[in-house]
Amino acid sequence: MSETLAVDVAGERVLLDAARAVYWPARGVLLIADAHFGKAQLLRESGIALPEADTGGDLARLDDLIARHRPQQLLVLGDLVHGRTSANAQWIAAFAQWRGRHTSLHCSVVRGNHDRHLDAGGLGFESIAASQFEPPFVFAHEPHPDPRGYVLAGHIHPGVVLRERHAPKARLPVFWLRDASAVLPAFGRLTGLWPVAPGPGDRVIAVARDRLIRLPAGARQPA
Amino acid sequence: MSVAQDDARYSAALLQIESWFIGRGWTPADFQREVWKHWRAGRSGLIHAPTGSGKTLAAWGGPVLAALARQAADPTPALPPPKRRGVSPRPLRVLWVTPLRALAADTHANIAQFAQDLGLNWRVLRRTGDSGSAERARLARGEADALVTTPESLSLMLSYADASERFAALQAVIVDEWHELLGSKRGVLLELALARLRGIATAGGGALRLWGVSATLGNLDGALDTLLGASGRGVIVHAKTPRATEIRSLLPATTARFPWAGHLGLSQLPQVLDALAAVRSTLLFTNTRAQAELWHQALTAVWTHEPETLALHHGSLDRVLRQRVENGLRDGALRCVVATSSLDLGVDFASVDQVIQIGSPKGIARLLQRAGRSRHRPGEASTVLCVPTHNLELVEIAAARRALAQGRIESRLPLRGCIDVLAQHLVTRALGGGFEPAQALAEARDTHAYCDLGASDWAATLQLIAQGGARLGAYPDFRKVVAAEDGRLVVDSKRIAHLHRLSIGTIVADGQIGVRWMQGGALGHIEETFLARLKPGDRFLFAGRTLELVRIRDLTAYVRSARGKPGAVPRWMGGRMPLSSELAGAMQEMLTECAPVEPEMRLAQPMLDLQRALSRVPAPAELLAERVDARDGEHLFVYPFAGRHAHEGLAALLAFRLAKLAPASFSYAVNDYGLVVSGRSLPELNAAALGNLLSTAQLAEDLAGSLNLAELARRKFREIARVAGLVFQGLPGRSKSMRQLTASSTLLFDVLTEHEPEHVLLRQAREEVLHGELDFERLQATLQRSARQSLHLLRPARLTPFAFPLWAEGIRGQLSSEDWLIRVRRMAERLEAGA
Repeated sequence: MSETLAVDVAGERVLLDAARAVYWPARGVLLIADAHFGKAQLLRESGIALPEADTGGDLARLDDLIARHRPQQLLVLGDLVHGRTSANAQWIAAFAQWRGRHTSLHCSVVRGNHDRHLDAGGLGFESIAASQFEPPFVFAHEPHPDPRGYVLAGHIHPGVVLRERHAPKARLPVFWLRDASAVLPAFGRLTGLWPVAPGPGDRVIAVARDRLIRLPAGARQPA
Repeated sequence: MSVAQDDARYSAALLQIESWFIGRGWTPADFQREVWKHWRAGRSGLIHAPTGSGKTLAAWGGPVLAALARQAADPTPALPPPKRRGVSPRPLRVLWVTPLRALAADTHANIAQFAQDLGLNWRVLRRTGDSGSAERARLARGEADALVTTPESLSLMLSYADASERFAALQAVIVDEWHELLGSKRGVLLELALARLRGIATAGGGALRLWGVSATLGNLDGALDTLLGASGRGVIVHAKTPRATEIRSLLPATTARFPWAGHLGLSQLPQVLDALAAVRSTLLFTNTRAQAELWHQALTAVWTHEPETLALHHGSLDRVLRQRVENGLRDGALRCVVATSSLDLGVDFASVDQVIQIGSPKGIARLLQRAGRSRHRPGEASTVLCVPTHNLELVEIAAARRALAQGRIESRLPLRGCIDVLAQHLVTRALGGGFEPAQALAEARDTHAYCDLGASDWAATLQLIAQGGARLGAYPDFRKVVAAEDGRLVVDSKRIAHLHRLSIGTIVADGQIGVRWMQGGALGHIEETFLARLKPGDRFLFAGRTLELVRIRDLTAYVRSARGKPGAVPRWMGGRMPLSSELAGAMQEMLTECAPVEPEMRLAQPMLDLQRALSRVPAPAELLAERVDARDGEHLFVYPFAGRHAHEGLAALLAFRLAKLAPASFSYAVNDYGLVVSGRSLPELNAAALGNLLSTAQLAEDLAGSLNLAELARRKFREIARVAGLVFQGLPGRSKSMRQLTASSTLLFDVLTEHEPEHVLLRQAREEVLHGELDFERLQATLQRSARQSLHLLRPARLTPFAFPLWAEGIRGQLSSEDWLIRVRRMAERLEAGA
């Protein structure tokens, strides 16, 4: 089972989950960002040989999260899908089946830049235009500061690269908790990483498989 | 036309060429005449000649002679009546392939001028990645008789639907600097393209001549066979009296102690400055880009008079900056250029007086190449001035001179069976008019790289491009090539065609980020992983300047000029080459010779005397090992002189086998001469026990156990996935739609390992790690040799001169059975400690 870690953010207690999600117990909201469903399909249609493997794994991870936290609501912080794929693609059928297993769960998505062609209703999701304010949090796709409250967002796929001489690098996704915003790691398995440079005072928690590792704030990585 | 008439016209053309030579105060060299004769007889071959010996005209003279004779016989088509836009289509006859775009410009100018001087009505065009749309359009309209191009651009041309018409009348391909392509995937890509061109020629009832031009290699025969393909036959023509090369060392005036370790060599700066001041212009070669940056920085500090005459050149700098330096070299405006292998070949810089090499060149062929970059007067030796950076490099340089005198030059072994390159070529063929599988297989097997390609590998390659992988149903909606009605495999999607053409080639950059000034203007590119460690405001050294990072946006790092000390110098992947076997062999011979005559050896004597006093200096028939128990731990040093790649595998193997004797955690370090395995306590060993640890029994299994081969393969997979078209390179300036298609190759590797562990490209990655990265053959040969050598296991009282550099490498390469998570936690802790 993947590890969880309770942290205080903007005075609220939330759980970071190594399945790359955040759970907000006070409101029963499960948050994920940057799932990029259908990415493998899109790549295959462009001639890149990638087996149909990500959708099933990502949905199973969502199932686990739901079983563990029993949320009332699932909120996706943008980029639920990767792009436009054909309507009868295999992943859509798998996704619809998954949605059918969780009919009582309210699902919504803050539209991200990849969601331009998203048919949210078709996938059983409520679509939220830009951002949503639920004190003390603002749910958004891009982590721009918002005067209304503390921003929870995705978009940048934050990560770190750990290195050691003579050993291969380890690239790990991270939760990046800052003064006015927190960025979730990308949920989808087939997503890349953007190495971030945390400032002093930032909290960075890395996901190493099913474990969470706190990284020191503002550390310089040794050459 | 009678034979006699033909001969007469040919003789007339030959006279014309001879008088062109005489007009310049030259005469055609024997080897040039020999090549022309072979050419006339329809033969193919390899010209073995150093830079600046007239190799270009040797290769180009053949087709020009033939064309002149033909023009004399049938002058009517000369300058045909203007049709559309002034020129009518004409068949492409000669293709000139060069590995460097920068070289293409010079070659193009030279051969076009030669043809024009002789009154040949040929139009010579150039097609490289730098060509503008106008030139490409002229080419597409069929306005060239001869074309100068690169392997990648040739591949691109083969991807156009009319490829077989374009090349139908081709009579010859000339491959310049073939040694530079041999042994790389670029070479394999070219082999496939040449096989395709041979196929087109054969289909049209013609025959294609193939001529290669190569610098000195240990395996010229192999180079010829690889160029001509499985069915080809040809001759090797040697340029007579190849210019002698003199290797000299820049030695400190005093016999003050020379450093035992270190490779930057900045302590030799005073001598280098004197050498720079003695001549008008110098090329200063370093072995890595980081070293070039540091040397440039050190020189800048003292180069206060005419600072604009000092410049830097390496492969990560922007093309415009590099061209500016190349032009400065050509017109003599620069006095010193600090360079890496980016200037190893190519353009002749007539105005360069002197070549300096910092540190060991690690190979004789490479040193020869670099020595040849300076001005050469006919009959004079070309000189290279080597700057040893530590004690053992003194021996290396003396050994290089010895090996060169004995003609022991490295071979460059051609690659075989790269499935990734074959997959790319097949998609290119599917685009270029489509292919019939049986015929494409026959063509592939006509290359050296795939002459023994098995039926199952062929089937797997076709599956890869037709259905994605071997597992049916695992790749829904995958499409790349599809079968047309007539059974030919084609590409029917414009998008796939576009993406494939964008990614033709085998040169893989490692996650590069562009570096630009805030106010505009490109400086070059740096590895993403280096920039990821910098924060805005941090300073670093790049392009010979101290820069301050302002921000990173859209795969571009914006910088401004900064003052003060830079914080870091970017390090690039794949920096250092291992010491070649030839050089290592000569080095071992030099070590034990008494009464040294070489100046380097005399300077190295105090160090060797100390080594002898503390331990032993091994003869070639001996293998030396040293056991030193020190306060910081116990160390086992072994000196096989097999180069750093082989030592890396050997050290891991030794640590693994030691751990089987006494379970513990060991670390190791390597250099080109030897290796050290260290631990808190090492098991007691005698020479016989150490001999057992170096046995070849169960070598492959123990290696697999000792190194994390899966992780190494995952890294290797990056290049393979890119060449095979499984991932697209994220390049600065690529469009958003392109970036939407980026998938990280490590993710791809994991997904494939999970779902299709026998995937043909995963297998290739494992093989490339074993045979390329770990140099398995050399490692095995080293072990076999050690069994024949007499093993001397000594216990010196303290660290010897041989041991010190290895010890100084520090505790590296922790080898233990700890799992990945613990390692990650430890790395995180180390971050903590460094914070």
